[in-house]
Amino acid sequence: MGLIPTVFHPRLEALSSAKSWISWAGYQSPIVIENVEFEYFAIRNQATLFDVSPMHKYRVTGPDAEAMMNRLVTRDVRKIKPGRVGYVLWCDEEGMVIDDGTLFRFSDEDFRLCCQERMLGWVLDATWGFDVQVVDESDTISGLALQGPTSFSILKEAGLENAGSLKPFDLAEVEPGLWISRTGFTGDLGYELWMQNEAGLAVWDRLWDASKDWGLRAIGYEALNLARIEAGFIAARLDFQPIHSTLRLGRGRTPLELGFERMVDFGKGHFNGRRALLAQKENGLRSHLVKIELGGFKPADGALLYHRKRKEVGHVTSGIWSATTKRNIALAEFKAPYGGRIQDDLWAEIYVHEEGQWDRRLVPVTVQTEPFFSHPRARQTPPNPF
Amino acid sequence: MAQDSTSFDAIIIGGGHNGLTAAAVLARKGKRVCLLERSGSLGGMMSVGGSDDPKAPPRLAHLLYNLNPTVEREIGLQLQTQPLKTISLSPDGQHVKIDGARARMMDGQPHEKAVSFGMLHDRFTRYAKLLSALSTRTPPKLSGSWSDPETFGELMALAGMGWGLKRMGKVEMREFLRVLLTNVHDLVVDELGDGPLAGALAADAMRGAFSGPKAPGTLFSLLYRFGNSGQVLMPIGGMSTAVKAFEDAARRAGCELQCHKAVAQVLVEDDRAVGVKLDDGTTLTAKAVLSSVGPLATIKLAGIANFDVEIARRAKNLRAKGTAAKLNLKLSALPAFTGLPEELHQHRLLIAPSSEYVERAFNPVKYGRVSQAPTVEILLPNASEPGASQWLSAIVSYVPYQAEDGWTPAKRDEVQHAAIQTLESYAPALSSMIQHAELLLPSDIETETGAAGGHWHHGEMGIDQILNVRPINGMAHYSCGVSGLYLCGASAHPGGDINGAPGRNSALQALKDGVL
Repeated sequence: MGLIPTVFHPRLEALSSAKSWISWAGYQSPIVIENVEFEYFAIRNQATLFDVSPMHKYRVTGPDAEAMMNRLVTRDVRKIKPGRVGYVLWCDEEGMVIDDGTLFRFSDEDFRLCCQERMLGWVLDATWGFDVQVVDESDTISGLALQGPTSFSILKEAGLENAGSLKPFDLAEVEPGLWISRTGFTGDLGYELWMQNEAGLAVWDRLWDASKDWGLRAIGYEALNLARIEAGFIAARLDFQPIHSTLRLGRGRTPLELGFERMVDFGKGHFNGRRALLAQKENGLRSHLVKIELGGFKPADGALLYHRKRKEVGHVTSGIWSATTKRNIALAEFKAPYGGRIQDDLWAEIYVHEEGQWDRRLVPVTVQTEPFFSHPRARQTPPNPF
Repeated sequence: MAQDSTSFDAIIIGGGHNGLTAAAVLARKGKRVCLLERSGSLGGMMSVGGSDDPKAPPRLAHLLYNLNPTVEREIGLQLQTQPLKTISLSPDGQHVKIDGARARMMDGQPHEKAVSFGMLHDRFTRYAKLLSALSTRTPPKLSGSWSDPETFGELMALAGMGWGLKRMGKVEMREFLRVLLTNVHDLVVDELGDGPLAGALAADAMRGAFSGPKAPGTLFSLLYRFGNSGQVLMPIGGMSTAVKAFEDAARRAGCELQCHKAVAQVLVEDDRAVGVKLDDGTTLTAKAVLSSVGPLATIKLAGIANFDVEIARRAKNLRAKGTAAKLNLKLSALPAFTGLPEELHQHRLLIAPSSEYVERAFNPVKYGRVSQAPTVEILLPNASEPGASQWLSAIVSYVPYQAEDGWTPAKRDEVQHAAIQTLESYAPALSSMIQHAELLLPSDIETETGAAGGHWHHGEMGIDQILNVRPINGMAHYSCGVSGLYLCGASAHPGGDINGAPGRNSALQALKDGVL
């Protein structure tokens, strides 16, 4: 296929009956291994392994690493202590989101930034004037996302029970060369395991061998996408357009417009885009990205949204039927003030097909503030067996 | 007055003429202003010094090209000047004397293209006048909507310029738009043929630039030089009088001017410039800091972390490679230039025998090499006083900022040798008269003045680095992101030469922003 196999590809290939692959940053990544429904329900009821090796990973070390990161991202990095992970966004000078990702802090002077978009040029530009070194670890570090209610039981069975003390967003080197973070993209109990490429297959096999009683299943991107929408997580290129890959004017979005004002620390000193974001805060947002629940059960991906059934005010950016919560859910972008100040009388236009007849229906839309799926097991420390 | 000697309304970094102008403008509005100069003398590139001989020429800038009359008026500059004629030398002795719009030969007869030259000169003057309406304003941002008063004002100013353009008539307007982005060589050689007359215009357009007259956009550089009638002025009493005039204007307005004060850091609190820290550790506070040292140096002083990544990247990539070196020669006698009557030695002499010559002089610099046949602007400052010690002051173009394999003493000698050889082919026996030579390369000029790349304009005046992208996108309106921090040097709009408009406009912008 012209794609690069990841370290885990021999195992994925052997398990795959769907043979459904996609290019993720040039790597061969599964869309589905066997069946989306099985894989999705495994996330919520058993445990799953997803190969996150193609993520871009930039290691930034040095005396100025904290200051450099603090100027790069909108959050206050000083509050992310060593041994912690933080969800971060970073912006261009106009306050438009370049990408979002997770920032791992190994020590005072040692960070790793993980993200979807290729970012080496930007990171290097952002380091100019700071005493730091940057290493692109994208191709040398492998990652496995072990997610689902039985994920800790599998770690325990595999002899990694010391991960049990990890609270959400904690990070620890549980064995020499094996780092585990209690992070993930599912909103459920879960961990991510990080290692040098050479150590990868052994870790996979160790987890697999330990999983007999705990129902581990390898999954592809589609099942993960269902879970992340339930958790209310946004995805680059779907729910927002990374500004460096847009060609048209005005397609970028600010963290404020994406609903992440709590992730923007105006008081911490200068960071990229701060002045533009302050100005936008003063002058008003252009749009609101929000969680919505829709009537009916037809997934609303891409649907147009209306106010009073007449005025077009936005569209769905990611929409699914949530099988766990039994709700029709979506992330949607509204033109301000809809979705923000104005939340009543909103409708989505859904096309339904019944035996050769297409029909257009307007279903009611309600704006949600909480994640669609949230379970105490995701936060419990140490976790229960399931 | 028992005022706090460490607290001011505004601090100006750098005592060049733009710094002094900015200081004078602010002080005349009743602000308490302190100007800090790193070196021992004010004037920046105009500063004199360097020799014990009172008759020695200024070390760097030796003429005024582009002094802005608005600046003169507004800061009450008391400076008397006299326009100089230009003699464009020809190797065959058929020199051309240029006096404003007139071009004559040495025998007093009009140059064969005198009529065309006159028309071209008038046209350049008209075009430059139209453009100069922009030079005393902050470049337009046009970021707001029509109803925004600031944007509306900007649009009105542009409309005024459009009206001026329209008023020139259809033919002239078309011609203006046709030539605006064109190159000097094609236009000038079309009208005048190539020779010393065209060479003089090409040399004047390109002096200080990293570009030859055949490069697109260079006509703009020539129009910039024509911005204030295109006259070349000699201050009566020499350049030291000009420095003194700017200094006096600032002092009279009540500025505190301090030399030997190097700023180590611009202090920033809560995204506002609040003062400076000197390299001796002293802290001075102010409501605004105006910096004449260019975007990159300013960013470094205020802390890179206080600026967006894009701004730092653009500042780092600013095109600022100086190409003009200064050669000061102490001579045992007044040199005689072949075919040049003695009374004309006191005017401005140019070695630019053709536009083609200027282009060829530029070529080696692209590769970090030295022009073997450079373009030279020569002044013999004491030519009218035969008894005085004689000097030759020369601006030598083109000399690279970075030499191909780095600067070595041998390489410096090469520059000096090429310049003297070139001079000698017009003034035989010159080399035997040299008692002392001082050569300042662009890199030396950078070290002495702090101007990036030792560049004449503190940043190339290319089409990508003028108006609302001068010096860089995001810093083009004097303000620098950090509130209360401004650029006030030649790197800012409208640009370099002894002009004063950047300093004046910057000060007015700070006043308008209400930061002090």
